Amino acid sequence: MDATLAGHLQELRRGTVVVASLIVLRSPGYGYSLLETLSRAGFDVEANTLYPLLRRLEAQGLLTSSWNTDEARPRKFYRTTEQGDALAGTLRDEWSRIDHAIGDLSKTTGSN
Amino acid sequence: MTSLIDRYVYTALRRVPEQQRGDIDRELRASIEDAVDARVDSGEERDAAIETTLVELGDPGRLADRYAGRSNFLIGPELYPMWRRLLITLLATVLPIVVLVGVIVQILDDPNIGKVIGGAVTTILTVGVQMTFWVTAAFAVLEHTGVGRESMKLDRPWTPKDLPRYEPNNIPRSEVITGVVWAVLLIAGLVLQQFTFSDVPVLDPANWTFWWPYMIVSLVLSAAFHVWLYRHGRYDRKVTVVNLVQQLISMVPLVWLLVTDRFFNPEFDWFAAADADVKGWVTKGLLLAVAVSVIDIVKVAIRGERARRGLPSKVPGTGNYNFG
Repeated sequence: MDATLAGHLQELRRGTVVVASLIVLRSPGYGYSLLETLSRAGFDVEANTLYPLLRRLEAQGLLTSSWNTDEARPRKFYRTTEQGDALAGTLRDEWSRIDHAIGDLSKTTGSN
Repeated sequence: MTSLIDRYVYTALRRVPEQQRGDIDRELRASIEDAVDARVDSGEERDAAIETTLVELGDPGRLADRYAGRSNFLIGPELYPMWRRLLITLLATVLPIVVLVGVIVQILDDPNIGKVIGGAVTTILTVGVQMTFWVTAAFAVLEHTGVGRESMKLDRPWTPKDLPRYEPNNIPRSEVITGVVWAVLLIAGLVLQQFTFSDVPVLDPANWTFWWPYMIVSLVLSAAFHVWLYRHGRYDRKVTVVNLVQQLISMVPLVWLLVTDRFFNPEFDWFAAADADVKGWVTKGLLLAVAVSVIDIVKVAIRGERARRGLPSKVPGTGNYNFG
């Protein structure tokens, strides 16, 4: 049963990391900082998924990046583009629409 | 000495496209160092922290696949149905034909039952494996280059009209027409070869006293059988038996004439010319016809049995939607 639950949870959460990353990176951040922020916020995301994802979002024009070499350890900082922000907005609207729709469904079936 | 982190990064980068390596190298190292530092800050020993961090990052091969956006499957869900259908079609139709031709050639060459069976098994294995391998290889290339993905979308989508029809009793009109036309053509060929095709007839004229008229009668019977079957309107045991009898009536004497060397005209001089093996090809053609007869007998028997049990059979010519 645990494997079934894990599979469905993964299915449901797929895509939420993208929305979360685009929201967090409205102020610039680097890979590890984003990983920390997301796991503190309760997103169960793994480094080996997140780092390639950031590069993919960059290639899609949803993030931009620049190297910060001011500190001892050079880090690649990502920032959400306007396009990325707009996309995140659309995805959030969709998310709340689904949430409402599911709430309505359970209300109507619950009253029976 | 290279550190564990070096070895991890090298291993992952080896499988990442070259133009991305420099950037990923720096970023991945920074991310690993950040994670290690965070663990050290919270009291872990450095070596242990490195090991835990790398374990969390997991298999460097998979990480590289994710960076490169590569799929870790050979043929994905978009192409799989097409791959499956094509392979089944090839293995179920082309392979038996190849095996049958091989068996016939072997029988003509040396009718040794051991060699015939051995040859058939070898053909099934080699040709079957070759077909499977090359089809799979071609689809894997399509999958991983993305070539053809777009052109496949141009294919018309599946519609319910593409569903095959199934009927427990169906005598396809096309088969009846083919059966009658075939008989008429063979009769015409048999008569005309005596007078027109060549100066000397190909087939032994001595047989006009009995066997060629007999063949003409049996072909007329075959045509009559097809007409009767169409009017009878269904497959059943009667059809199976009548079909078996009418096939054997023409097939058995034909094979007997061939085997006892009474089929061809000994005077026909093309047989002497070694480079034009007319006799050999005609014999091969006739043996193929015999094989087709055997297949037909079995097919009709199966249809009769299915119809008797009320099981529907697929109507030929329907449901040929095969791609996409």
